[in-house]
Amino acid sequence: MTPSPPPSRSSRSPLPDGLPIPSEDDFTSRLRSPAVAARVGLWLGISFGVCFLTGLISHYAQNGNQPIPFPASPFWGYRVTQGLHVISGTAAIPLLLVKLWAVYPRLFQSMPWGNVRAMAVTGLERLSIAVLVAGGVFMLLTGLLNTAQWYPWSFSFRPTHYAVAWVTIGALVVHIAVKLPVIRDALTGDVEDTTHDRPSAVETGALSRRGLLRTTWAATGIAVLATAGSTVPFLRNVSVLAVRTGDGPQGVPINRSARAAQVTMEEGGAGWTLDVVNGEGVATSWSRSDLEQLTQRTETLPIACVEGWSASAEWTGVRLRDLLDAAGVPTGTDLRMVSLQKRYAFGVTELQGNFADADKTLVALKLNGEDLSLDHGYPARLIAPNRPGVLQTKWLTSVEVI
Amino acid sequence: MGGVSTTRSALGALGLLVGVYGAYLLLSRQDLDQLLSAAIWLAGGVLVHDGLVALAALGLVALGARLLPAAARTPAAVGFVVLGSITILAIPMLGRFGAKDDNATLLDRNYGLGWLGIVVLVVAAVLVASVLRARSGGRAAGPATGTDVEGDPS
Repeated sequence: MTPSPPPSRSSRSPLPDGLPIPSEDDFTSRLRSPAVAARVGLWLGISFGVCFLTGLISHYAQNGNQPIPFPASPFWGYRVTQGLHVISGTAAIPLLLVKLWAVYPRLFQSMPWGNVRAMAVTGLERLSIAVLVAGGVFMLLTGLLNTAQWYPWSFSFRPTHYAVAWVTIGALVVHIAVKLPVIRDALTGDVEDTTHDRPSAVETGALSRRGLLRTTWAATGIAVLATAGSTVPFLRNVSVLAVRTGDGPQGVPINRSARAAQVTMEEGGAGWTLDVVNGEGVATSWSRSDLEQLTQRTETLPIACVEGWSASAEWTGVRLRDLLDAAGVPTGTDLRMVSLQKRYAFGVTELQGNFADADKTLVALKLNGEDLSLDHGYPARLIAPNRPGVLQTKWLTSVEVI
Repeated sequence: MGGVSTTRSALGALGLLVGVYGAYLLLSRQDLDQLLSAAIWLAGGVLVHDGLVALAALGLVALGARLLPAAARTPAAVGFVVLGSITILAIPMLGRFGAKDDNATLLDRNYGLGWLGIVVLVVAAVLVASVLRARSGGRAAGPATGTDVEGDPS
């Protein structure tokens, strides 16, 4: 162990005396080193990458305008990508906390006062770090709160989470570019290597570097196990912090209740019809008993919510394509699905032609063998494969050619 | 910047481009009040971490180093990292802030009990490991000095 050189105070910022601001050299733990930061950072970067890609998929799946149609198969695709999105975001929380802990002394890095060029370079690098940390914390925090449907802010979640994702990934790529030589050395070298350490980072403590890394992996694993049961059925009994048990009326959780959407049982009663409006504006109407007379199909499809939870169920009803054929709607036609719901978004959604034509796409009348409950969309709802839950229109009242 | 490789320059330029696109998306799709709220949450996250969470961690680690017997420090440090991150993660569930009285399927667990279960398991593991380390005569109890009082330059 090399002795710690006396901390250099000459380059400290010209702040007024008396402010208790530490310098980088006051942090002496040898755990706060690039060897640790790069190893945790690698996994943090991977989890951010998975979050970003799965997030792009989810955002695209919800877009009305899709130049390349989102595929209707595999039917479990969105369930997997959105489950991964939330799982990797959850895994990133312990990783980010340890990563920030490992690099915390850099917050107090001195500015090279006087040298304008060096100040500009340092300033720009620190600005990119500020953006990265702000974006990273923001993404994980807003994502976590969204899974628990807690919105203590006035910005719109989806566009903001989406835009800040691009900002954060951009700042992450810049950060990797800046640190590439150090990252390469740290990851190819031994974990005990001290080449890039700050001079003061020499003190051994309760944990070794390997010990801290193993602890971090353990915390990450526990965080995943404690929450992933919302979407991974066999973890249900282990995930004590999961936002959903996966249970609910007729064996399936709900996201928006009929009460919240202001839909009543009467509206779906005797007067209700499902109107399919074709390209000429001619409507064909079916009452619920009309629909029950048609060929009934049963499909096992998941409800996969954008908030990450999902549950598989058996849906019975009429194949949407059968209704479209009867109404004279050609294949490949994009449709507008209209709900009875009066409040909140997604009362009217678009259903792309490839989804409308998919064999598994149903106008469901039953869930797990029983008539749909009102909260599940009575008298009829859309259920399509590989589709975000918010677009599985409940309380369906009309299907219109766009 | 002659020493900077082409790979790094290209990567840096790509990152900048992606970030600027994100900033454009952020600024062009919402009104001023919403942007202000987003700005507060962006800056607030950094301030709360750097000013509160990091300081609390420093304080707790210093406290643990002073109060805990040598044999307990390593297990306690492991327990602290695990419980600290799990507890931060559990706040939205523990508070049930997003619960809705018309939807019994959301936040439908006893999260206090679940969190307590994790705490009990981790604390039990820390205690067992500490006792085992104490019995093995301190050989496995980490560095004899064991002082990890960071940020205390005295």
